[in-house]
Amino acid sequence: MSSTGNRPAQSGEAPADRVHSIAIVGGGAAGWLAAATLARLLRPSFCHIRLIDSQPEEAPAFSEVALPSFHRLNHLLAINEGDLLQKTRGSFKLGAQFLNWGRVGDRYFHTFGSLGAKLDAVPFHHYWIKLQRLGEGADLDAYSTATVAAKQGRFAHPVAERRSVLSLYSYGYHFHAASLAAYLREYAQAHGVTRIDRNVVDVELGGEAGFIDALMLDDGSRIRADLYVDCTGARSPLSRQALNTGYQDWSHWLPCDRMVAVPCADAGPIAAYSESSAERFGWRRRIPLQHGVDSGYVYSSRHVSDDEAAAMLLADLPGNALAEPRLLRLSTGRPTQFWNKNCVALTGSALEPLESTGLHLVQTGITRLVTLFPVGRYSPADIEEYNRLTTIEYERIRDFLILHYKSTQRCDSRFWEHCRQMEIPDTLRIKVELFRRCGRVALLDEEHFGEDSWLALFFGQNIDPQNYDPLADVLDLNEVRTALSRMRTMIQEGVDTLPTHAQYIQEHCLAEPRRLHE
Amino acid sequence: MHGVAILGGGTAGWMAAAILARRLGSGFGAIQVIESPEIGTIGVGEATIPPIRLFNQALGIDERDFLRKTQGTIKLGIEFKDWSRLGHDYFHPFGAHGVRLEQVSLHQDWLKLRRLREEGSFEEYSLNTVAARLGRVPDWSTGDDSLSPVFAHAFQFDAGLYAEYLRGYAQARGVARLERKVVNVELRSEDGFIRALHLDDGQRLEADLFIDCSGFRGLLIEGALKTGYEDWTRWLPCDRAVAVPCESAGALTPFTRSTARSAGWQWRIPLQHRIGNGYVYCSRFISDDEAAATLLAHLDGKPLAEPRFLRFTTGRRKKFWNKNCIALGLAAGFLEPLESTSIHLIQRGLTHLLNWFPDRTFAPVVAYEFNRIAINEYERIRDFIILHYKATAREDAPLWSYCRKMAIPDTLAYKIRQFKSSGRVVKYGGDLFVTPNWLAVLMGQEIWPERYDTLVDQRDAAEMHADLRRIRAVIRRTAEAAPRHEEYIVSHGRVEAVESDDARG
Repeated sequence: MSSTGNRPAQSGEAPADRVHSIAIVGGGAAGWLAAATLARLLRPSFCHIRLIDSQPEEAPAFSEVALPSFHRLNHLLAINEGDLLQKTRGSFKLGAQFLNWGRVGDRYFHTFGSLGAKLDAVPFHHYWIKLQRLGEGADLDAYSTATVAAKQGRFAHPVAERRSVLSLYSYGYHFHAASLAAYLREYAQAHGVTRIDRNVVDVELGGEAGFIDALMLDDGSRIRADLYVDCTGARSPLSRQALNTGYQDWSHWLPCDRMVAVPCADAGPIAAYSESSAERFGWRRRIPLQHGVDSGYVYSSRHVSDDEAAAMLLADLPGNALAEPRLLRLSTGRPTQFWNKNCVALTGSALEPLESTGLHLVQTGITRLVTLFPVGRYSPADIEEYNRLTTIEYERIRDFLILHYKSTQRCDSRFWEHCRQMEIPDTLRIKVELFRRCGRVALLDEEHFGEDSWLALFFGQNIDPQNYDPLADVLDLNEVRTALSRMRTMIQEGVDTLPTHAQYIQEHCLAEPRRLHE
Repeated sequence: MHGVAILGGGTAGWMAAAILARRLGSGFGAIQVIESPEIGTIGVGEATIPPIRLFNQALGIDERDFLRKTQGTIKLGIEFKDWSRLGHDYFHPFGAHGVRLEQVSLHQDWLKLRRLREEGSFEEYSLNTVAARLGRVPDWSTGDDSLSPVFAHAFQFDAGLYAEYLRGYAQARGVARLERKVVNVELRSEDGFIRALHLDDGQRLEADLFIDCSGFRGLLIEGALKTGYEDWTRWLPCDRAVAVPCESAGALTPFTRSTARSAGWQWRIPLQHRIGNGYVYCSRFISDDEAAATLLAHLDGKPLAEPRFLRFTTGRRKKFWNKNCIALGLAAGFLEPLESTSIHLIQRGLTHLLNWFPDRTFAPVVAYEFNRIAINEYERIRDFIILHYKATAREDAPLWSYCRKMAIPDTLAYKIRQFKSSGRVVKYGGDLFVTPNWLAVLMGQEIWPERYDTLVDQRDAAEMHADLRRIRAVIRRTAEAAPRHEEYIVSHGRVEAVESDDARG
């Protein structure tokens, strides 16, 4: 393989055989997360990282939400969690509460923990279905330590002792977005990343192959790098606009394309979970932070105007608005090539935030780039593999998101009528049919959301299986009753020993009172 | 569910009977195995891969007892001779090579140093390989914890004795054995499901679920249900085998050997009491007589039986689960035992069956999912086996010239292309063989990447040298301190009275 492929030779540069420099565009939490990760994994002498901290055309979201996978980043960067949460006005996240999704008045939790325990190698939920049919077995929530704790407003770190019910969950975080970006920026800069506080005004392409040759900045300077990382969100000026990378639109499955958000005061105790409440044209979210809540309305612009959406948001806030509402465009699809030529687009944070996958996708995207770090300056094989894996990853998450909309029983708006009746991808259709027929969850390759997540959604949105696992009948019914009752008791007793989330924050990571829009 | 009928009492049939007896309660009706009395089994030896230990554990089988009763030996991997070219050999060990240094796989460091010709052989980083070459078996129960991820083992045993062992297990748990032949299969007119088997004593045997373990013919899955077969001969051209046990001579090797021959390859599987041998060949390039003569000319000791011939077509049934019938073992398909996957495929079929156990409605979507998972696993193993044939430089025989030039499945071509580009191994969902396995065979068969992972250049070369030297030394030391295979067997499950002249079957 020739070292530069069909990349045009550049004058004034020594022939280089590999990527020596990377320019990241976009300085929000996504951009700085990418920069910090690269800075940790690539030595400055090996690869020079610059971040162009351009002012986005749209103000960024007020909050960012992390899944438990963020712990890997903490570990990689040796981040002190208490310090991080204190500086980002952060809170712990056991999961999310979903209101009004199946039917108006419904409520369920999707938390980061296991649901019950296997008995005789048969998953717990089959026994639960069996007892439900006998009118027994209690509420599903009672079998999840994370859900019980979330409902009671309690939190502590899970314990290591495997036999304890307090080991059976994980947690993510809610962050104040600008503070998180600043935190990661500090890390990245301390580890050799150069910050360029300028806007990109033009992207120059070079040669027949049309690679990005340089970025023109608003001070007239030019930035050249071997590889570019586009962290600018839905608009994607490098990948989508300059390189004209194709886009696969999923808006027929994921109809929400905008979010209007406002930070507001909240007098109540701080929740250890976020809230997603289905509304007539989308859904409302509440992200609990220290000293306030980020409140947003995620909606379909085809079904409701921006003004109406903002009015609906402001009409139902938990406390006083602390800033002007911000409008954000969401992406409802994926680039046909996440990595195209010499540009990698990390668009995850622009995807619909229903399951808080934004930071997660940025994190896996940048880690994958390091894992597949190009062996030459331009390496088509690495690009192909990167795109193959990322496509699978996105499609799995896409299916999980679609099911929230599809499995509604609501008929109170054209929006929900559309969702109920839409065709869905085959991969998802088969998954749902399997669950309906036999109560089992089929997991595909590279699935981020595991069995417990799918179960939370299936049960939470009233998809009732016709049958449970026949092997669940092997165990004597009284033994099943006893085992399930014992699980509930152990979970309840375990959760009773936990402090409240507010106390826990107070002890571990209390932030200075500041206003959320700062 | 009322009744499970298992047709065929070989390894597949008794593995199925044993695990179902263990997992199903009395509410599922009788489990019955129909076993044709005159079909014997030959003790030519069966090699396995490490997951067999999970199957035995699921049954609650004591490993020492199992080794004793099956004439079992320890297998640390497979030695491949003459595959990439005559006179060249390599070892495919279980377990990984070395340990990971920083964020990049150890083989990338090695690939870099290889260019400087200071690396030693890659095999020196595998504890299994080094130990196997010394005829030694590290004791994993007392081993150094830091080495546990790099060490794994499986067994070689007499498959006939294993089937017998499992039969005893199953019968003790209520499985009925019918020494009968099936003369007719009765289908339901409304949906073509199997309703009953008619046996040669006039008995009519009804069941809800039928498990076809009848061997390559697939009496139920193919004979009755006409499921269809996907032929893989274009990638795996061998279509016959001849097998013979022989006397042992010399030390007991803790590994299987596969030697490429002009029209196929020969296996050598050491058991406690003898050695199992066979020649898998392509009938287009060699006659049965020549194949048998080649086999008999390459034995360690005196043959203990007449050579026995088998015919097969490599490939798989279009569906493993069709209506109310599930095919296991040779009834499901044939992949030559080059990587010792035969028993593993039976085991996986049973795992999927238990995970997706049908209710009486036999919803088609459940069979669809079962087939999707099982077929994918099957095809990933197929790719790995094809690699052995494809990655050869041999031109001394028409079989090898054909294989070198043949088109291969896209999934395999992509893996090879990726490896050649960067030395990285692509992972697919459902892969049984993962990075260490692919590395062993790719590099063992002399496919070298054009480049190594650039990130290795971040590391200080002197440090890297020191690390690699240290790993090699630890592995060598551990292997040398391990007991010899014979000693290991004595302390872990030796057959008390070895009857080496017992030429069963």
